[in-house]
Amino acid sequence: MYFAGVDIGSTMTKVVIIDRDEEIYSRVIGPSGAEHRRLANRVMEEALKQSTLSFDKIDYVIATGYGRFNVPFADRRITELSCHARGITSFFPSVRTAIDIGGQDAKGLKINNGKLVDFVMNDKCAAGTGRFLEVIADTLGLKVEDLGGISLKSTNRVKINSTCTIFAQQEVIFRLSEGIPLEDILAGLHDSIASRVITMVRRLKIEPDVVLTGGVAKNVGVVKAIKENLECEVLVPEDPLLSGAVGAAILAKEFVLKTLAKGEPITRKERQLEETTFFR
Amino acid sequence: MTQRSKGLTRAKEIYRDRSRRVKELKTEGKKIIGYLCLYPPLEMMTALGLVPYRIFGDMRESITAADRGLPVSFCPFARSCLDLGMKGKYDFLDGMVMAHACDPVEKTAHVWELFIKHPYFYFMDVPAATRKRDVGVFKGELETLRETLESFVGEKLSSEELKKSIKIHNEQRVLVRKLYELRRPDPPLISGTETLQTIKAVMSIPVEEGNGLLREVITEVKQRRDGPQKKAARLLIWGSVIDDVSLIEMIERAGANVVIDDTCVGTRAYWTDVELTEDPLDGLAYHYLAEIKCPRTFVEAAHGEVRKDHMADLESRFSYLKDCAEGWNVNAVILQSVKYCEDHGFEVPELKYYLDSLGLPNTYLEHDYAEGSLAPLRTRVEAFLEVIG
Repeated sequence: MYFAGVDIGSTMTKVVIIDRDEEIYSRVIGPSGAEHRRLANRVMEEALKQSTLSFDKIDYVIATGYGRFNVPFADRRITELSCHARGITSFFPSVRTAIDIGGQDAKGLKINNGKLVDFVMNDKCAAGTGRFLEVIADTLGLKVEDLGGISLKSTNRVKINSTCTIFAQQEVIFRLSEGIPLEDILAGLHDSIASRVITMVRRLKIEPDVVLTGGVAKNVGVVKAIKENLECEVLVPEDPLLSGAVGAAILAKEFVLKTLAKGEPITRKERQLEETTFFR
Repeated sequence: MTQRSKGLTRAKEIYRDRSRRVKELKTEGKKIIGYLCLYPPLEMMTALGLVPYRIFGDMRESITAADRGLPVSFCPFARSCLDLGMKGKYDFLDGMVMAHACDPVEKTAHVWELFIKHPYFYFMDVPAATRKRDVGVFKGELETLRETLESFVGEKLSSEELKKSIKIHNEQRVLVRKLYELRRPDPPLISGTETLQTIKAVMSIPVEEGNGLLREVITEVKQRRDGPQKKAARLLIWGSVIDDVSLIEMIERAGANVVIDDTCVGTRAYWTDVELTEDPLDGLAYHYLAEIKCPRTFVEAAHGEVRKDHMADLESRFSYLKDCAEGWNVNAVILQSVKYCEDHGFEVPELKYYLDSLGLPNTYLEHDYAEGSLAPLRTRVEAFLEVIG
């Protein structure tokens, strides 16, 4: 039996296929773009190709993320908060608090035995998210994936006071014009992201183990700043982008096995993997 | 179409075109008085032959005019109300009664008076606490309101007329509570969306017509077989004004039934009757000041209780919510507020603490009072339902 999780985030679309032992058969990550529907389809096809499975071999598909309503071939939809909680627990069973910083939002999750028990979310503003880092990288003519490494060289971090993305961008340019080294500015930026996100997550009472996921977890500078701010160890999974899709796939498996164990039939949607789009 | 629609259909029609009836009445010579928030006593207006008409904003219309009069970082509901006023959408009103419900509404009242010219305007002060002295002060305000209304209409308001009016408005309160009784079963006989449409409709037409509408709705809802479906969650929704169905609709589509509320287009307006005191102003003053459960009013169990016995203080402030949750078999609470509402915002940490102590799962949503901005809240509502499910 095979199960798929499709996580359409604001920036990236992720598909994971697992078997009943939760072994990952394929994982595909692609940019979400403007057409969730068409892309969900393509990323799924690629995942199938990687796993050499045909679509009718997939027993159940759960869609999650912002674009979860745009996955025509999904059997069920579950919010990314529950899916992240499940996925992260499969990476780190001891997790109690998870921080996920994605392209357009930041979330704090309180997890108990793999189940989401409480959450906070910032989805109104780009400050403290991946988009914020993209804007800054763009301003500096750098690649977003290089920011973390550069910031580690900092010896005298500056304080970035603006929380608004646009004002922070202006502040960075002003600091540069003062002749402050790039690494000190970047370290300051990472610290401002960390303290912003942690201030929000503190509403949940942070308990260890703490896990950091989402695209921003790939930035070593932000990971370091979060550790310093929390004064505790922070675990980062091997592929921090995949927790939502992995969680969706595991929830699909658990749902199917539980239903079968009860002797009930699996009601699946009539589904076909084909190109669909809003735009004609 | 000669047949007049009834019950829920009629409520929905009035909800969608809420000024139609009062505009009709205006052509028949009736005078229409707008009021903002729950504090102006409608009984006085009704008794003088005036038609009270509650002022709402419109979360489907962008605020484009009000910034001339109000700052931008400010209660978006008050801004929206003023915006509609400045665009002439409340020009049919013959008068307006505003009250110091909260500071933003007080400031809005001042700006309203400046920008929008109605033949009659009165601003009522409302004390912040409910001690005996405060009720006395508020009664004084009501006396002045009565005098200004009398001179606007050109006739005296007798205590007998006022008492008659109180009885009719109390009847409305009883009917609304009867309607809410129909939300106790599982599934509830009427959805949160339908309830809101009905209450808003009632606030848009004369009291006796509202009573008729409520009777029609109650009869229909009791008889129909295609009411709401049973759902996993039965929710209490608390917070600032909800005058558009979009939020409730979104919650109900996410897999919950909203079965009870603590909001001002809901229970707050109708939960207790006005006592018929010898001087009717005594009963009115006490009801409107002390019995309306808006966090704009300061409530404490006893002086100094806040620190002496925190739980007792919380009980005195919020135990009515426990009663609602028990009575309507609620399994979770959604706290919601428009942005910048300090009165509701200040209440949230204490209220969350109290609900947690009762073991009632709860979540807090803040929104911009704009229909389009509700979409991101959907994920939170769904995740919350997954957490409690």
